[in-house]
Amino acid sequence: MSEDSINDKWPELKKFPESVEKNFISSLSEMPDALSESQIRDWYQQGISLASQTVRSWESAAHFFAVSPSVLKSMPYSYFEKWMECGEKLCNESPTLASAYFESSPGTMSQLRSRHIEEWASLGDQLYKGTWKSSTLACRFFVLSPILLSQLSFNQLQTFSQFLDKLAHRSYDLALECLNLGEQIFPLVGEDKDAFLSLATALVETGWREVKSFFDSGAKALPRIDPDERIRFLQLAENLVKNGGTNIPGTMLEISQSLAELDQEKHSVVLALSESLLEFEPLAMPDFINSSPMIFEKLTTSQFGKWYEEGVNVIQNNPDAGIAYFKVESAHSENTIEMLSSGIEFDRIKTVMEMYCRGLAGAEIKLSSTEALVEKNIGWVSKNSPTTEGSTVFVPTIVDRYPTKEENFAWFKVVSTHQVAHLEFGSFIFDFNKKSALFDDLRAILEKKQLDAIENSKKSNEILDDSSSTTEFSETSQNLEKAWISDMQRFFNLFEDRQLSLDIFTVVESARLDAKVLVEYPGIKTFYLQVQNDSLDDRPDIKELPAREAIVEFMLRVSLQQYEGVSIPLKYKSEIQQIIQIMKRVTLHESLVEDSAEASIRIYAIIASIPNEDIPEEDWEDPSFDDEEDYEDPDEMEQMLMDMGMGMEMELRPEGEEDYETMQEVEYRGDFKPELSQLMNEMRMQQQDQSGGAQGDPLTQDQLKELLENSAELDMQTVQGEIQESSGVFADNLIKEAGTNLPQSPDDNQGKYVHVDEDGGELQPGEPETFVYDEWDFRAEDYKPRWCIVKQKLMQEGDPAYFSSTLNEYSTLVTRIRRQFEMMVPEMLRKERKLSDGEDIDIDDVIENMVDIKAGSSPDEKFYWRRNKVQRDVAVAFLLDTSASTAEAIDEGKGRQDEWDAPDDPVEYMVWLRTRRGQQMRRSYKRIIDVEKESMVLLINALEAIGDVYGIYGFSGYGRENVEYYTVKDLQENFSDKVKRRIDRIAPLHATRMGPAIRHTAHKLNQIDARTKILFLISDGRPQDRGYSREGVEKEYAVHDTKMALDEAKKIGINSFCLTVDKSGHDYLKTMTSDMGYEILDDINDLPERLLVLYRRLTM
Amino acid sequence: MTTKTLYKSYIIEEYQLDEEPYYVPVGDEIELFEAAYRERLPLIFKGPTGCGKTRFVEYMSYKLGVELRKNSKRTDDSDSVNLPLVTIACHEDLTSSDLVGRYLLEGDQTVWIDGPLTRAVKAGGICYLDEVVEARKDTTVLIHPLTDHRRMLPVEKRGELLEAADGFLLVLSYNPGYQSALKDLKHSTRQRFVSIEFDYPPLEIEAQIVQHEAGVDEKTASQLAKLGEKIRNLKEHGLGEGASTRLLIYAGKLIASGIPPRRACQVSVNWAVTDDHSVQQSITEIIASIFE
Repeated sequence: MSEDSINDKWPELKKFPESVEKNFISSLSEMPDALSESQIRDWYQQGISLASQTVRSWESAAHFFAVSPSVLKSMPYSYFEKWMECGEKLCNESPTLASAYFESSPGTMSQLRSRHIEEWASLGDQLYKGTWKSSTLACRFFVLSPILLSQLSFNQLQTFSQFLDKLAHRSYDLALECLNLGEQIFPLVGEDKDAFLSLATALVETGWREVKSFFDSGAKALPRIDPDERIRFLQLAENLVKNGGTNIPGTMLEISQSLAELDQEKHSVVLALSESLLEFEPLAMPDFINSSPMIFEKLTTSQFGKWYEEGVNVIQNNPDAGIAYFKVESAHSENTIEMLSSGIEFDRIKTVMEMYCRGLAGAEIKLSSTEALVEKNIGWVSKNSPTTEGSTVFVPTIVDRYPTKEENFAWFKVVSTHQVAHLEFGSFIFDFNKKSALFDDLRAILEKKQLDAIENSKKSNEILDDSSSTTEFSETSQNLEKAWISDMQRFFNLFEDRQLSLDIFTVVESARLDAKVLVEYPGIKTFYLQVQNDSLDDRPDIKELPAREAIVEFMLRVSLQQYEGVSIPLKYKSEIQQIIQIMKRVTLHESLVEDSAEASIRIYAIIASIPNEDIPEEDWEDPSFDDEEDYEDPDEMEQMLMDMGMGMEMELRPEGEEDYETMQEVEYRGDFKPELSQLMNEMRMQQQDQSGGAQGDPLTQDQLKELLENSAELDMQTVQGEIQESSGVFADNLIKEAGTNLPQSPDDNQGKYVHVDEDGGELQPGEPETFVYDEWDFRAEDYKPRWCIVKQKLMQEGDPAYFSSTLNEYSTLVTRIRRQFEMMVPEMLRKERKLSDGEDIDIDDVIENMVDIKAGSSPDEKFYWRRNKVQRDVAVAFLLDTSASTAEAIDEGKGRQDEWDAPDDPVEYMVWLRTRRGQQMRRSYKRIIDVEKESMVLLINALEAIGDVYGIYGFSGYGRENVEYYTVKDLQENFSDKVKRRIDRIAPLHATRMGPAIRHTAHKLNQIDARTKILFLISDGRPQDRGYSREGVEKEYAVHDTKMALDEAKKIGINSFCLTVDKSGHDYLKTMTSDMGYEILDDINDLPERLLVLYRRLTM
Repeated sequence: MTTKTLYKSYIIEEYQLDEEPYYVPVGDEIELFEAAYRERLPLIFKGPTGCGKTRFVEYMSYKLGVELRKNSKRTDDSDSVNLPLVTIACHEDLTSSDLVGRYLLEGDQTVWIDGPLTRAVKAGGICYLDEVVEARKDTTVLIHPLTDHRRMLPVEKRGELLEAADGFLLVLSYNPGYQSALKDLKHSTRQRFVSIEFDYPPLEIEAQIVQHEAGVDEKTASQLAKLGEKIRNLKEHGLGEGASTRLLIYAGKLIASGIPPRRACQVSVNWAVTDDHSVQQSITEIIASIFE
């Protein structure tokens, strides 16, 4: 068609920009031929009318023309007309909108039923409110329609657009973002768009601000969930929304994260239970789901259900308790898990099993989890393999291999017993030179041959100048000459293939230990055998292994009591027969670890002579062995040794032979590292020697590194490529580790404990009258050695008038108390008379008796006397808290003590203290300390009446290096005016570091000879000090240290009693004093009287 | 009608053992005792409870008594020659009168009654003060003159000074296990004695003892001995005192009369040595490992 003819035929096009015409012309040619001329004309007219609506509407027209052909393809002309109509309507509203409508039409129409055209257009139209923002939203809606429709049904699209509309009422930006996110999210939602949409709509009602993050988190959360379960997940979320849950998107993310940690098949279980939980307490549901992964680690699905049911019971009675239950933050919940679980957790049985191990081994054995060992990074890498390094037995954190608790515990016991057997039956006390019990000793001979060979090769070396192999040898010889080599290492140095020799030794030694355990502990025999038998299930197929590995595997099976049904390579039958005989001998009762070593040499010699090649399927057979024959060293032993000595045993390798690969370990036997363990033991001994001042060159880090590199025990697969580096790390850690078990080693405690807010290490007492005490770190479960300095000082002297004026003030109380106390005295000092049996006869009573007889009346036969049974022999030390908090005025003081928090920085601390004390200067009221002082006055008055030994001390301080300890009256000191004067000067000072003060008092009391010793602690609050008690867990630290100090006192026969005026004292005093007794005074003014009553009660 | 005596009663200073008590020496204690007796040096036995201190005294008194009679055969006076064993269990309220004697009223006159120590001094027997630290400190001072070259017992109330008969020997026992600062012997007391330390016998000997005393088979006996050894390993780890040989024998006796071994050990050993629940559990596990 020429340009002219176009102009003629469609004259109006010229009025508009060129693109309109261009689009029209190109589309015209594509319009279906079936269209009649009039239809084309209509189409044309429609475009023109669009274009001429407004100034910019020509753009819509251009789009209209451009898409028309493809739109027409997906619908009959009648609908096309409708489509055009809708477009025109939209264009009336906004040309931009219409453009978007047209533009997306081809994509949309291919998915939209034609009858929905109008509705679709109206959806966009509804979103358009005439504003610029709404137009953007509506346009975007049209643009995304094709994509959305590929995911949503038209009804859903309607819902979605309604949702957008609603949201747009709040914020267009938000609506727009959600629309954009919808593109990503709908594919993820799967089948349940309705749920998602209704949730979203619900969310608009309750918390529209969260909608976007809901879309965001939805996009992240949904993929984590089993596709079939997504709908339930969404329904749960919706339910939560309806029940007033907050932060739904966050919750969704969280619970989806938790669900992601579970196997997908468990999702439906968890979600089903969650659904039913909604009936009881919807708000507990997220916690329930979040706890589920942790619980599934311990429980099976059915047990999980029971745990849930119990939780429902709880929640019906008390929703808060229920929420705590589902968070697993309640003891009940934990106990329920523990009860249901068949697994055994290490922590729960640690105490019992540790004691068990100690009992068996007769040594200071510790029990720890393997995780702790791996963290130490000293060469052990497996978290699941039980092991021991000579002083600690490491076992897995949790055992859940069997269906019942009993069996799991039994497994634990088998594992522990086997590990302890290493210690009990001396795996680590291997002595290279010690004679074995059952074999001819070959070790020394072999070593000598090896040295000779090296010597020879050196000589030949001189002639031949050099060769690589000889350098290797001379290195070995240097190693041998080194003073620092463990016996175990010396032994393994005999073999060229260290891994092979280690495996052989491991199997042989395990067999020896198992045999011993079975004889010595028949009680666990049944389960021990069962565990052995179960271990067989995990073994690899022996036929898959090359010859050497197969034989080692066979040995291992034999050591697990599997004698039948294992195939062996036919051609090595006689060798294997020999090996069995050797192993049998090791399991005899008399065998020592040295026998295992000797046996290993022999077995090694046999296996080394066998090439490590694959054995064809048909060459295997199930063996039957002659059990009767006993092992005897064969004649060619000499030759074998010679070969080994020369390092020749591996020379027989055929070409292409596989390298020997280590065997798969047996789980209950775990990780056996004799070399490393012996090394550590020796390092520890060395440390001890050093601290004992003995001689001997210490092992250097480099030497140790070299030793480690030579060892076959380090799993080089895990540290591949960085052997050099990691052996250095191991060496470092090993040295540290060997040091840790020696509390007296000097560089021990730096940066090691969790509680490191105070830098520096131990303290040394510098001045006279200073004392150093340990402090207990409850998290490390160990003492911090020499941690606190107690400075003992005499209290300054003040006015003695204070004493008498106080007595005057309390004159009525004083008289009463004094009388009560004096009444105690006669009870104590009087002879007990009129006894029917006693030390001697009382002459007065006898005379009376005689008189009675003479007078003919029946005599009283009780005429013996005895000295009083309990001689009063009491020493008591009063320990007064003179911390700053005792400066609290009594009325305000109550309940405020706990808010008292000292700044950590020393400078700030002193400033803080000064201001506090400054405030107290202008006082006219009574302080806690005043009552304490008054009590002391009354007490002294009373105690002087009965003559008990007593001492009065005040304590305070700031920081561990400054525990001030003031003597008011020493235990041995007599009461005098000086004491009176000192009492006057008791004043509030700094903080309350109770532990060292208690330790020092106990130390003083311990030097006194008395039958009853009492430590009376009078305080106004919890222990606290810089670096001793601050927020959170720190408070606990102080309480635990104090408790430990009190326990220590108890151990040396000192009873403690704590009297406090802190009303919140119950919580920590219960922990602190355990059974030792404490009392909390409701009213501080009761202190003087109550103190004396308690004193009487305690010492009677 | 004749009254049948339903019990055996001995006069304190005439009590001696008729049969040889079973005792397996662990070290050189027999030689030491004999030598000390020859020189009349008083002895202290130190050792944990139930390790055989009392049994050893009985054994020695029997053994020395037999020798004494053998040696005096020539004088044809064997009936009067004996070596009685006077055992006094010390307790907190034991006063010097309880040891030495006291006046009692009888009718209208006072009668002096000798205490067991006085009787032993007079009769020349072995006086065994069991758990002597329990006694009051003033009481222990009383024995001082008896333990040195004087060999005298002052009887204050009668104004007498008794010289010990030739055969008299003082033997004390105490258990340093629950030794505390308060319950310790004064040095002035301690240093008058030859001390023999006792401990639980080694595994094999203990097994032999249990086998003999309880009448169980060899295997059970050695298992019991092993149990004893393992439990003693726990001392200082929650156990004040290890399981004594005596307890092991009790367990053995229960086993011999048909109680299953695990149960027997539970009641006679485990629950006897501790009240601490977790220690009990540990011991239960040890028992379960050793016994089927």
